Amino acid sequence: MRILIVEDEKSLAEAIKKGLEEEDYAVDVAYNGEDGLFMAENEPSDLIILDIMLPIIDGMTILKKIRKAGFKTPVLMLTAKDAITDKVSGLDSGADDYLTKPFHFEELLARIRVLLRRDSEVKTCAIQIGDLLIDMASHEVKRGGKEILLSAREYALLELLAINRDKVLSRTYISEHIYDYDFDLDSNVIDVFVNRIRNKIDRGSETKLIHTVRGAGYMLKG
Amino acid sequence: MFSSIKTRVILFYVAVLFMILPVLGVFLDLSLGKIIYSSIDSSLLSRAKALATLVSNENGETQFAFSDEIMWEYNSFKAKNFFQIRYLDGTTVEKSRSLRNLELSFPTGENQINYQTIQLNGVPTRLVSFRFMNYGDDDHEEKVPVVRRKAYGLIIQCAVDIQEQVTLLKNYRLILSLFIFSIMIISASGGFFIARKALSPIKKISDTIKGISESNLSARITIRNVPKELRELAASFNHTFARLEKSFKRQKQFVADASHELRTPLSVILSHSEIMLRKERSAEEYKNAFTAIEEATGLMSEIVGKLLTLARLGTDKIELKMVPINLNEVIRQAVKVVTPLATQKGININVPVNEQRVILGDRAALLELFVNVLDNAIKYNVPHGKIDIAIKKERSFIVIKIKDTGIGIPEKDLDRVFDRFYRVDKSRSKKIGGVGLGLSICDEIVKLHGGRIEIESKRGVGTTVHSYLKRQGYVTRS
Repeated sequence: MRILIVEDEKSLAEAIKKGLEEEDYAVDVAYNGEDGLFMAENEPSDLIILDIMLPIIDGMTILKKIRKAGFKTPVLMLTAKDAITDKVSGLDSGADDYLTKPFHFEELLARIRVLLRRDSEVKTCAIQIGDLLIDMASHEVKRGGKEILLSAREYALLELLAINRDKVLSRTYISEHIYDYDFDLDSNVIDVFVNRIRNKIDRGSETKLIHTVRGAGYMLKG
Repeated sequence: MFSSIKTRVILFYVAVLFMILPVLGVFLDLSLGKIIYSSIDSSLLSRAKALATLVSNENGETQFAFSDEIMWEYNSFKAKNFFQIRYLDGTTVEKSRSLRNLELSFPTGENQINYQTIQLNGVPTRLVSFRFMNYGDDDHEEKVPVVRRKAYGLIIQCAVDIQEQVTLLKNYRLILSLFIFSIMIISASGGFFIARKALSPIKKISDTIKGISESNLSARITIRNVPKELRELAASFNHTFARLEKSFKRQKQFVADASHELRTPLSVILSHSEIMLRKERSAEEYKNAFTAIEEATGLMSEIVGKLLTLARLGTDKIELKMVPINLNEVIRQAVKVVTPLATQKGININVPVNEQRVILGDRAALLELFVNVLDNAIKYNVPHGKIDIAIKKERSFIVIKIKDTGIGIPEKDLDRVFDRFYRVDKSRSKKIGGVGLGLSICDEIVKLHGGRIEIESKRGVGTTVHSYLKRQGYVTRS
């Protein structure tokens, strides 16, 4: 899953980026409102972490603009203002959640997980597809009770497929959601990764869970 | 209890009533008594004079020509009229039968007419004694020559039982007292009512004031509903509350801003530490995290330091040591403090060399003022720019002009640069440093020196800060 952070405090943005990347998210960062708005409108993100007090364009304006443009991406407001009125106006402007600085990183992670699975079929932090079990909090993957070890990128791909179970995801969609902006794209890489997780998950099982849809992409189906 | 206006008004009112009404009562009582007694007296006197005409001198013998008609009102034992005729030595010549064996008291003194109130057989009686020389009748003039006539003095005493009048006066006095007493009671309670009614607007005002609390300072007394006499009071209350409200709002905003400013570095520290602690890290990672934490801590301690300075300057208790200060010297010291920063940016500072200016001021505060202004002039200057300092006299002020060749302040922001935590361009400020409190501190310092600070600026040309300091003899507000 790909997350956009719009935060002008560079040090804070970098710390969050590092922490999220270690949680196998693809992370983009914008340090001012202008870049933030551009990236929100032009780069596919699964979630936006948005500061309110930003140089050039403030967070509230960005939020209103992207909502007006029809983007439904979940937005988590991150701000130093803790007055109730600020929270209300943030939520009224189309924010999905609100976190006041200073915050605990674990809480940020939990809120991100909730927001990411909000629009999917999945409502808990564990996804069960056939005998495949994915725990999104601990990133543990088991098939038939046997633990499967995945690299960060492999896990990200599997989670993306799992959250969008029974839907065909194109190679472009997948690469856009598991890689950040700075990554050099090569769609062959997706095929390689899909093959790798297919080997780890489907090998030795009767039922194949990962399906290739010719000309369209990949799908996880139980 | 006596401190209440209402009680005082009532007490004063009642005291006045209690002084006036009894005096009035006594006056009414006395004047009625006087009227009654003088009418009795005049009737007794005319009776005595009438009797005197009936007395004749028959060659030294006293003769009476009393008719039955006259004697009728004196002769019954039960009659209330009495008379007694005496010689001057007190020997009784004649007395009315109504006196029976009683005697009217003999008048003392030589007055021709003497009035007395006596107790006759236990009954109050008014007595008039009329003294006259009995020369006898004119009828006898022919028979006895005047020289031979033996004249002698007689006293005719007439008296009347005044039991009725005494009782009347007594009753009158009783009724009058009761009447006056009830008037006093009624007036006092009326006064109580009036005082309460008159003071009710004050009660209303005080109720409004009671309702104004720290959390609800916006309530005001409606002047239009207040009587004219109290409008000024109500207006000053409103004014005071308005000022209080403004200062509370400012204070609240300040606290909110301060907490807001501290939250960002705090969240940097918290995020870095938490993410670092999630697992084992390389030395490089730890080093980066600690660097970020160190920077955030530095920013926080700068904010806290400046906040403390502001809080200290903002209280009335601040003790400024006002001594004669040579401004040129303080400015030179300030320049020395900022020189390393200026050298780093290649900025040239021109210090004035003109005559010495001395004011009464606090050395540390003035140094802080100039360092802050110069600091801004350097931070927001272009590389290799310059700063000109000039000192001049302007009426009762010494004006220190610090002019830079910096980026300038947009006109729309000029009003707000003294607001706490206000920064014209937040992203630029982050690079340059600073927490947005410097000018607020400068503002407080010049105010403590009886002056003001003015900023004139043009984008891309530069900013000039004019610090007005009172020339001499200025005493701080404490």
